[in-house]
Amino acid sequence: MREQKKRRTGPGKINRADSRTKQKKRPAAAPAQSRAAGTAVTIPNESAHMPFSPRRAMKKVRRKYKIFSVRGGVDRMFLYVLMALLVFGLVMLFSSSYAVSYFESSGSKSPSSYNYIRPQLIFAALGCTIMFAVSFFDYHHLHKFAFPVLGITLLMLVAVRVLRDTSLVPNINGTYRWLYLGPINFQPSEIAKFALILIFAHLISINYDKMETFRYGVLPYGLLLALIAGLVIMEPHVSATVIIVLLAAVMLWVGGIKKRWYLLALLVAVLAAAYLFFFTDKFEYAIPRVLGWLDPFNPPEGTDTWQTQQSLMAIGSGRFFGLGLAQSRQKYLYLPEPENDFIFAIVCEELGFIGALAVIILFALLIWRGVIISLGAKDKFGMMLGIGLTAQVGIQAILNICVVTNTIPNTGISLPFFSYGGTSLVMLLAEMGVVLSISRTSNVDKI
Amino acid sequence: MAKGTTVRMWRRVCILLVFMAIALGVVIFNLIRLQIIDGEELKRAAIDQSLRPTKLTAQRGTIYDCSGTKILAKSASVWTVALEPIHIEEEDKPTVARELARILDMEEADVLELVNKDTYFTYVKRKVETEIKDEILAFEKEYGISRGIQLIEDYKRYYPYGNFMGPVLGFTGTDSQGLSGLEYQYDSELSGTAGRLVTAKNAVGSDMPFQYEQRVEAEDGYDLVLTIDEGIQHFLEEGLEEGIANFNVANGACAVAMDVNTGAILGLATKGDYDPNDPWTIADEEVQKEIDALPEDEQEAATSAALQKQWRNKAISDTYYPGSVFKMCTGSMALEEDIVSEETTFTCNHSYQVSGTGVYINCWSTHGTETFVQGVCNSCNPFFMYIGEQLGPNLFFKYFEAFGFTQKTGIDLPGEANTIYYTADQLNPVELATESFGQNFSITPIHMLAAAAAVANGGYLVQPHVVDHMLDSDGNIVMSADTSYKRQVISKETSERMTKILNQNATSGTAQSGYIAGYQVCGKTGTSQKILEDNLDPTKKHYIASYCGFAPADDPQVALLIYFDEPDPTINYYGGTVAGPTFEKCMKQILDYLGTERKYTQEELEKIDTTAPSVTGQTVEEAVKTVEDAGLTVKIRGNGDTVLEQVPAFGEELPQDGTIVLYTDEESTETTVKVPNLKGLSLSAANQTAVNAGIQIKVTGAALTSSSSISQTQDIEEGTEVKPGTVVTVSFVEPDQVA
Repeated sequence: MREQKKRRTGPGKINRADSRTKQKKRPAAAPAQSRAAGTAVTIPNESAHMPFSPRRAMKKVRRKYKIFSVRGGVDRMFLYVLMALLVFGLVMLFSSSYAVSYFESSGSKSPSSYNYIRPQLIFAALGCTIMFAVSFFDYHHLHKFAFPVLGITLLMLVAVRVLRDTSLVPNINGTYRWLYLGPINFQPSEIAKFALILIFAHLISINYDKMETFRYGVLPYGLLLALIAGLVIMEPHVSATVIIVLLAAVMLWVGGIKKRWYLLALLVAVLAAAYLFFFTDKFEYAIPRVLGWLDPFNPPEGTDTWQTQQSLMAIGSGRFFGLGLAQSRQKYLYLPEPENDFIFAIVCEELGFIGALAVIILFALLIWRGVIISLGAKDKFGMMLGIGLTAQVGIQAILNICVVTNTIPNTGISLPFFSYGGTSLVMLLAEMGVVLSISRTSNVDKI
Repeated sequence: MAKGTTVRMWRRVCILLVFMAIALGVVIFNLIRLQIIDGEELKRAAIDQSLRPTKLTAQRGTIYDCSGTKILAKSASVWTVALEPIHIEEEDKPTVARELARILDMEEADVLELVNKDTYFTYVKRKVETEIKDEILAFEKEYGISRGIQLIEDYKRYYPYGNFMGPVLGFTGTDSQGLSGLEYQYDSELSGTAGRLVTAKNAVGSDMPFQYEQRVEAEDGYDLVLTIDEGIQHFLEEGLEEGIANFNVANGACAVAMDVNTGAILGLATKGDYDPNDPWTIADEEVQKEIDALPEDEQEAATSAALQKQWRNKAISDTYYPGSVFKMCTGSMALEEDIVSEETTFTCNHSYQVSGTGVYINCWSTHGTETFVQGVCNSCNPFFMYIGEQLGPNLFFKYFEAFGFTQKTGIDLPGEANTIYYTADQLNPVELATESFGQNFSITPIHMLAAAAAVANGGYLVQPHVVDHMLDSDGNIVMSADTSYKRQVISKETSERMTKILNQNATSGTAQSGYIAGYQVCGKTGTSQKILEDNLDPTKKHYIASYCGFAPADDPQVALLIYFDEPDPTINYYGGTVAGPTFEKCMKQILDYLGTERKYTQEELEKIDTTAPSVTGQTVEEAVKTVEDAGLTVKIRGNGDTVLEQVPAFGEELPQDGTIVLYTDEESTETTVKVPNLKGLSLSAANQTAVNAGIQIKVTGAALTSSSSISQTQDIEEGTEVKPGTVVTVSFVEPDQVA
């Protein structure tokens, strides 16, 4: 800590150039000359007249490709809050999935309550490893990845569209959101979020000066958003679409486009709603759902608000101090998906208002530190990337809690770090690794 | 242009943070609302939906006879088969329906309907035996059906003795609730307290982990140990059946034996009863046939009436005019109040004018001048009308009340009838006169027996009761019957005097059909005409023949009342003739069973039967000596040297002056004689007939004490081939015994 405080240097000061691992002992030695991203520090002919040494070869590779080349300390506050959320999330996942796991495996030879927590722990460990590795990775390399990632994402989104009802893209409750690739299954929409953040951050950081123009500030983003969101909504996956649109809005807002575009988007939304209302029957389906949302215990005929009812009962059961860890009643198959989208209800039930508040405060802290890191980033790419990734966690967390508390109508959004889902957790942690990477070079008080 | 964050970015991020703060604020507000304001309500809803109480059935107590070992009623496990249709796999449904229908012997279509119900729970069949339950389990295993069929333990009532004291024991309904008899009276004690298992169930209905379980153990019901002795009960049941057969009794009968000192009921038999294992079947096949013959719309009512009738405990639910039996009470009153003494005389002129009225009431005979003792023995109505008059309505009613006739006896059986009587101020001379000899008021047999016990035991009115004590499931006594008396009705001296008079009545009076040598029986007969009710044929007379008595006279132990409802008047309807022999038979068996010592009078000793000594296998000389030493006559048949066979055989009873026939060769043993008709004869004629036929007779009943008696029954029927010398038991009754 003491040494880090010494490094409270100006925006231009980075501690990356020295390839020696002893950099902590020699902070002053860090030269400022190679601040610019993408310019490699070359030490000519060093290896030409020396015998081969693996250690030196490694050093050379690291220098050349700037892998593990970031040497600044991470933002510990962010890391601690993140770890707290992850551990908290794993504990709650174990508790909330306990009964469901046992019930689902009760027909098998060896019923087990660990069928959810076991893989989640493994993925969490893997995710943490990847996160720390990524945190040492110079995020500027991601400039180069922006378009390839976008391409792959679009490919996968098209794939889930084209390969419907094959073994790769099975029909799950009438939706086609998952890609089954052998041992790993994931939702391309998860990757789409990252792809969107990355491409937007890339483009905004390049074209920041022209953000107020239509051609450079709105059109490309609008097209990209329409493409990605359009593919996602066709899965259909409304909640992911909403998150993607919100992410885009946040990034463009911070990226500095004119406010009038938002007014225009609002107008378009109203017109679209009016069109749907007057010329299609979509609203006829929506109205009972809205009524069910407003009064979940007396839903209109044919509207199923069971999950919301059970969620509210779970939350209410918790009162101020909760029933105690693992003491939930609602997780015993009353509340559907207690291990997934509705895990927060179990937190409320077992740990009460205090526990729920703790989760909210942890997320608020994470967002706050993420924003601080982003704002202190030494360039606009880091800034936009940080904001985007932080916003993704923040939007998902807030929307999830809103759904669980019936603040907004029920839609499937998972709670980051809490909900079950291995690949999604690994992705999330890798993304947090990027934020940590940004924090290493960020001009912030690393507390 | 700055490389990093611009001021606009800062500003715009801050605006976003404000939005986020607002969103979080809304969420926190909602959490406060849900968790703190509405929390209690939501919590209760959550608990309510998860808590499911299950009843833990308590085992119903066992009913034992007085020995505490013979089981009269017991519960055994049976099973309720239920379905959880919603948990049965669709493809299993036809199989489940077919197999269950087969195992449970039901219609497949009915079961299929249950299986296809869209519910969590439905009953299929109740009270299924354990073997059938095992069959269902085997079927489930065979077809791999793990959910959907529920087997819930329940209890069924068994009555091991079958059609035996049904109206006393009663029976239970489908939920093991007592519906009749002791099962009803002691239902709460027998049934115990059902336990409750409140478990938290998950949404599919299985138990949540144990910490949510709250268990209130079922407390098994108490066992009842009755005062009724299974042996004595058997004597009474058999005695009644025999009496009903002999006199073609139309409307059933009852017999109650009671310990005179404690009020403990030793036996309570009712005929026209049923098998408590199967209470809903009409036990009398002829009644069932009659019902089947009725038009369909009348059958239900008729069945219901027949069931009610067979469940009815006549001893406590029937009311009747006790008739002359009541004279033992009137007599006691008179002795107690010194209105008469044994020697007081009265002249019976057949007709008696009730004082102060122009009403004449006839006696059943004309007795002339008689002492009080003779009056009792003659069952002379005018004598008792006279006593009633002397007592006056107030005194009479005082004793009437004291004997317990104005209240229910409070016996611990349900359905005790109210008595119907005149109070002191309602007792006009005619009512008083008729009540004095047991007419014009209705009481139950148990009332009469309790009053007789008071006459017998020194004047104490005891509490009739059936349950001696109750045991909890650990065998601790939780309740004992109160055997203290209610009050003293008459003095000990009066009791003793009346006992002596009744003893004489049973020895030489109208009640001598109940006489048992050595047991000093005290008794009183009763013949009451039934009040015409709607369902009685008005063209015929309907009688109740009863006999109430107790023994032994010097220390009364057991009181017994025999009650025949509507004996066939074309055979006989007098209490002494119809009920007396049954009384004699039952009382003898009871006293023998209880091991009561026989005390013979000198007179009795002369007539007492002896038992045959064993002489078979002895030489003829030895045998003759043995037989003659025993005071018996010897008759030798055949020419052999040793006795091959003797008649009567060793241990058989024969008269003191009887003969033992010794058979000494093969030829002689093959001789047989025919039993002649011995009914309807005087004692001397019967003796003569027997001698002529080469058999011997053993005399029971009235002939032991009276010379005018006539033989009524013989234990070996006329025409039966027997060996010469065989002893035939012939019972005698006094002809034309009335009232």
